[in-house]
Amino acid sequence: MVHCKSRMTICLLIAVAVTLMLGVAPATTLAQEKVIKIGTIFPLTGPVALAGQRCKAAVETAVEILNNKHPNIKVPLADKKGWLAGYKFVLVHTDSQGKPDVGKAEAERLINQEGVWALIGAYNSSVSMPASMVAERAKKIFMCGASSSAALTQRPDMKYFFRTASTDEVESHEFVEVLKWLNKTQKNANVKTLGLIYENSVFGKHAAEEAKKAAAAGGFTVVADVPFTPGATNLDSEVQTVKSKNPDALFGAVLGADYALMVKTMKKMNWIPKVSLNYCSGYQDPVIAKQLGPDADFFMGSTGYSPEFAGMMPAVAEVEKIFKTKTNNVPYDSDSIQETIAMLVLAQAIEKAKSLDPEVVAKTLYANTWPSPLSLSGKVAFAPGGQNKLALSIVTQLQGGKYKRIFPTEKADTKPIFPMKAWDKR
Amino acid sequence: MVTPMHHGALKRKDLFWLALVALMALVPAVSAITANSFLMHVLILILLFASMAQAWNIIGGYGGQTSFGHSVFFGIGAYGAGMAVVTYGLSPWPGIGVGMLAAATVAVLISYPCFKLSGHYFAIATFAVVEIFNRMFLVWYWVGGALGLDYPMVEEGFKNLMWYDSKTGYYYCALVLFVLIFGIVRFLEGHRFGYYLRAVREGQETAESLGVNSTAVKLTAMALSAALAGLCGAFFVQYNLRVDPGMVMSLDMSMKFVLVTILGGAGTLAGPLLGAAVLIPLQEYTRALWGGLGGGVDLIVFGVLIIVIVVKQPAGISGIVRDIAKRFRRPADAKGGTSVGTA
Repeated sequence: MVHCKSRMTICLLIAVAVTLMLGVAPATTLAQEKVIKIGTIFPLTGPVALAGQRCKAAVETAVEILNNKHPNIKVPLADKKGWLAGYKFVLVHTDSQGKPDVGKAEAERLINQEGVWALIGAYNSSVSMPASMVAERAKKIFMCGASSSAALTQRPDMKYFFRTASTDEVESHEFVEVLKWLNKTQKNANVKTLGLIYENSVFGKHAAEEAKKAAAAGGFTVVADVPFTPGATNLDSEVQTVKSKNPDALFGAVLGADYALMVKTMKKMNWIPKVSLNYCSGYQDPVIAKQLGPDADFFMGSTGYSPEFAGMMPAVAEVEKIFKTKTNNVPYDSDSIQETIAMLVLAQAIEKAKSLDPEVVAKTLYANTWPSPLSLSGKVAFAPGGQNKLALSIVTQLQGGKYKRIFPTEKADTKPIFPMKAWDKR
Repeated sequence: MVTPMHHGALKRKDLFWLALVALMALVPAVSAITANSFLMHVLILILLFASMAQAWNIIGGYGGQTSFGHSVFFGIGAYGAGMAVVTYGLSPWPGIGVGMLAAATVAVLISYPCFKLSGHYFAIATFAVVEIFNRMFLVWYWVGGALGLDYPMVEEGFKNLMWYDSKTGYYYCALVLFVLIFGIVRFLEGHRFGYYLRAVREGQETAESLGVNSTAVKLTAMALSAALAGLCGAFFVQYNLRVDPGMVMSLDMSMKFVLVTILGGAGTLAGPLLGAAVLIPLQEYTRALWGGLGGGVDLIVFGVLIIVIVVKQPAGISGIVRDIAKRFRRPADAKGGTSVGTA
């Protein structure tokens, strides 16, 4: 009886293994159609899975627009005309789990087994780095939406890597400009010292380094430099360390649930700086802002998009309707919208090049300025290294649960509330 | 129970392993396999994780000391090679040697006090060691801190232990790693030191009463195990061309050392290979098939399959294989065949 069971187990395992191996073989039926396969690499599980799921939905939204006629949507190629009209984009999704080795392995599999024409991803800068190296060696285009590490576009030999989002370097300088502007325009602002709190990851560490450079250039003194382990269950000692130095301003590079924990801990310790500015992070996440409720108010951060920007970017509304059907009604945030932009810009480049030669399309991407109604600047253009030199972000402040535009002043829709209101005076 | 090995069985067993290695060496000659880079990737990972698990098996399986700290030694080896290439612009080879030595030294320094603990307490202490080293490397500027080390594009080949277009070079390196570590363990199985180690596992006080210096035996086994884990780490970083503390010095990585061995069968020569041969394809193919769906479907399926195996045969896959072998051997025994002794 025992042996029967063992044999059954072995048979079961062999059956599963064979099924798995056969199932992973690339689909051949698509070869007959005019399809362009695009591989996506996002963290669909792990600590930033929610952000990864939204990025995936954002690329799907772009492909739905590109594959079908949408005359009511005012973005290029939504009318389904031109050279690309005979083609369909097909997405092959993968899960990086937020791990560099997994992301690299999936990039290799997408290129060699699935035969994708280009890659989009990978949200985590630490995953984008090795995955884009795989694409570069294979001469495949890698479109990067939301990874913010400036180092990604500081690799001079990269010819096939393109990023649409702003970087932590640009954001750091923007934050310092905000501090200077507050000193100039607010009575008795007197912001001189700066505290940094950031997750100890590629993203956080890069952001902190760029913040230090920008602060030094702007004449501000960094008095607290506090890293923490991502996915922390307690930030008491980190917030206490910042509190003990009592900086006038606080820059945060804190993702997802860690951001909510940081805000709650600041409230628990009854400490708040005069101004708090946050990189693309938990601050931008509309779900986290909703969870925090009034506690989220008066914090500031860089924002590439929020639903409150709809008046400035009318084309987003119709696109966002499709996006919301894939995200249980959650709107775009600054990161996810960049993935839609990346896919739409790539499609425009193929259309313009009238070619599926990656080298020709990559040169076309560099050579042109692309209309991008979903971007704040309305355009995308790439500098050597692949960075979108027209990437813009606006500094917003959460007021009454709404992302209010405050800087630069020509884009502002309200005045900042400065200093931040103390916890017991809200 | 430690039983002496039958010399005839020893030869047959070795022949089996030699034939297996010869077969594995011929794999890249099959163009259908080399053309499928994902299959090559899976085969490389099987060899790597089997080697890692075998390195752990020395102290965890044969020595009976359940260490959850092996990702530290793995990480030190990875950083040795990584820093040689990225920080100093050298070939990884000197870094590999330094990494192995450093891993063995750290293992001895950590283990000496930890071996005063036993059972669950030893395991808990090794958990803490991983966290300490992870935090330390995250803020240590010299080793790249949280940013980690990204490899530059250098000339491919054995000198730099790096290949870009083909995985065949990596496959043979993984095979050499596998042969080296399995060879060492096979040698230890029949050596006096191996008997001492298993005697300590079965009963430390009894072994000591017979004149075995249990502390020296455990420390030597730990140093050897750590050095080999460091060697595996060096291969891991050369394969992924990036290292950061989260990739190598994590509880997740430590669990893989233990899981592969326990699943295959701890304290047996074949266990680590059987564990890796089942676990790695499951992990990679479930992720490839269902990972893109999101929601962790692949991880759920992976977890359920592990539960099925463990529930069906708590002794691991080697237990299942033993059951099958007995089933086939029984008719032979009935006809007057002889049973094979095991270590």
